[in-house]
Amino acid sequence: MTRQAFMARLREGLRGLPPQAQAEIAADYEAHFADGAAAGRSEADVAASLGDPARLAQELRAEAGLKRWEQQRSPASAAAAVFGLLGLGALDILIMLPILMGVGGTLLGVGAAVIALFFSGIAVFVAGPFSGIPGGPAVAILLGVGLMTGAVSLGALVGVATIGLVNAVVWYARLHYRVLKPALESQTFGGLS
Amino acid sequence: MPEAIEIQLKKGVLELCVLALLSEHDSYAYEIASRLADGIGMGEGTIYPLMRRLQNDGLVETYLVESTAGPSRKYYRLTSAGAASFSAQKAAWSSFAGAVQGILGGAA
Repeated sequence: MTRQAFMARLREGLRGLPPQAQAEIAADYEAHFADGAAAGRSEADVAASLGDPARLAQELRAEAGLKRWEQQRSPASAAAAVFGLLGLGALDILIMLPILMGVGGTLLGVGAAVIALFFSGIAVFVAGPFSGIPGGPAVAILLGVGLMTGAVSLGALVGVATIGLVNAVVWYARLHYRVLKPALESQTFGGLS
Repeated sequence: MPEAIEIQLKKGVLELCVLALLSEHDSYAYEIASRLADGIGMGEGTIYPLMRRLQNDGLVETYLVESTAGPSRKYYRLTSAGAASFSAQKAAWSSFAGAVQGILGGAA
């Protein structure tokens, strides 16, 4: 494979990353080719010992997804991290999907219940005092406030549990792809090209 | 099957080897990749995802050195966290390798 073909496939695989990261990564590999040429090696030789550009791009993308999740806790960055790892094959989707769906579904359900609880708190707070509730308006107002604060604290718990879940998935995947996933395919790759 | 075992072993110690090289002296990716490719037969391309991870984890940092010919070159050096991580990993590796050797030595 020529330098140009290697770089084209690498850039293809990096699409979607922040432009600055793409440029940095491309510059790293360009420098590698330049150093190789300075050492008297052919482009094909350097490309073969670098390995499969598509595979390298997957690893770099997964790494970028994890970095984003560590810097910024948001649903989008959680999805990016998990999908990056899925693309790498670090998460066995057949094993992980039922677990993720079970736990994720539970969290979603509790989250919905929390929101419902909050709004019923508002309803009691607003309508309670006029409905002739036993104990009078003061009890209705206190009951409403109690329901709302209960919902808020439960909601915070759900948030913490969700962050914990994504962290656990990331931890599991890193452990596995670091040790198990061979990006050391230069020998076989060199044989193919 | 022996091939798979070899790959797992290499992948596991790659980070340790990079930290060890950098603890000797600052270096750039091509040099690190060449030494590891010669030493343990690692694919050279793997070094870049690894260096980015080490950088994200705060174990290494980069600086640019002007070059007389061509563009300036990116050097990596260990941070103090990187040096601490290297000592810890080296100690863990030594005791693990020693234990494995003890068991292997006992087998026929």
